[in-house]
Amino acid sequence: MHELSVMSYLLERVETHAERLGASKVVTINLVIGDRTSIVDDSLLFYFDMLTPGTVAEGASLKVRRTHMRCSCPRCASDYQPDGFGFNCPTCGTVGEVTNDGSEFLIESLEIQQ
Amino acid sequence: MSMQAVRIVNIVESLLVSNDEAAEVNRARLEAAGVLTVNLMSSPGAGKTTMILKTIETLGERARLGVIEGDIAGSIDTEKVLAGGAGDAIQINTGGNCHLEANMVHRALDDLDLGKCDVLVIENVGNLVCPTHWALGEHLKLCLVGAAEGHDKPIKYPQIFAVSDVIVLNKIDLIEHVDFDRTIFYESIQALNPGVPIFEVSCRTGEGLDAWTDWLLDQLATLRKEG
Repeated sequence: MHELSVMSYLLERVETHAERLGASKVVTINLVIGDRTSIVDDSLLFYFDMLTPGTVAEGASLKVRRTHMRCSCPRCASDYQPDGFGFNCPTCGTVGEVTNDGSEFLIESLEIQQ
Repeated sequence: MSMQAVRIVNIVESLLVSNDEAAEVNRARLEAAGVLTVNLMSSPGAGKTTMILKTIETLGERARLGVIEGDIAGSIDTEKVLAGGAGDAIQINTGGNCHLEANMVHRALDDLDLGKCDVLVIENVGNLVCPTHWALGEHLKLCLVGAAEGHDKPIKYPQIFAVSDVIVLNKIDLIEHVDFDRTIFYESIQALNPGVPIFEVSCRTGEGLDAWTDWLLDQLATLRKEG
C-alpha cells in the first residue's frame, strides 16, 4: 500500500537524472527490489502508468529484478531461503543467520536517448 | 524519423534517496538541539500511546519527552500525551498515507518546541510494513510488539525486526493467557538482528519500565556526550 509514495519518489529521481544526463527520453528504468521490502510489482506498475504521462518517462518500460531473503547456517554453512515458518536450516535444524539479501531497494540503471 | 541510440547509465542509488536526505536534515537539527529521537513503530493496538504515557511517567523529572503523533486522522493521541505530561506534542495527519515521511516530520519540527524536549518520540502510523523504509531523522528505530499479537510476528514481518535498534515486548502480563512462545520470538529476532536489545514490559502493571527508561537515558547521555 506504500507503492504510490515509492513511485512518486522514484519518478522525481528519474526526472532529476534525465535532466542531468541531457536525456530526451527515458526508455527503460531498471530497479532491484528485494522481497523484504514488501513492494508489490503490479501495484508499482499501476502507479507508474498513472504518474508517467507527460513526463520524460512516458512510455518507458519499468523492469524489476527481484531478490529474495536468504539465511546462512552457522553450524553446517548451508545457504538457504527460509521457508516462511521460521529461520531454521533445512539440513541440520539450527536457527540460521539472515543475510542482507532481499532488502534491496535500488534504481540500478536508466536506458536513455539523448 | 532517425533511429536514436539508447545509452545505459548506471545509477545504483536508493529509490528513497530524497527522503533519506530530508531525514539527514532533520537529524542534524535534532542533534543541534541535543534531542534523542525515537521512531516508534508497531501494529495498530500494540500500545504505542500507552507506552509513551508510561515512559513519561517513569522518566519523571529525569528527562522531558516530546511527541510527534502520526495518525491517518484525528488528534486524540496528541491530547492524551499532553495531558499525560509531554513537554510538547504535535499531530501529523497523513490523510490516508500508511507511514510518516521525513518531509512531514520536517514540517512538524517547525511547530514543536524542542527546548521543552530531551527525548522526542515520533509515533508512526500503526503498520509493520511501510514505516520500515522511510527514515525520519531518528537516532533509534523502536519496534513495539504486544504479546497478544503472537510470537510469530518476526517471522511474518521480518524487515521491521531486522532494521530496529531496540525491540520492546509489551503486555507481558498477558503472556500466559495467549500462549506466547518466548523461545520462538527470541530465536527469530536473533536470526534477523543478532544482539538487538529487547525489553519486556507491561504498561498495565508497570513491570520492566524502569529497565527500559534507564536504557533510554543511557542513549540520551551517549548522544549528548558525542555531540
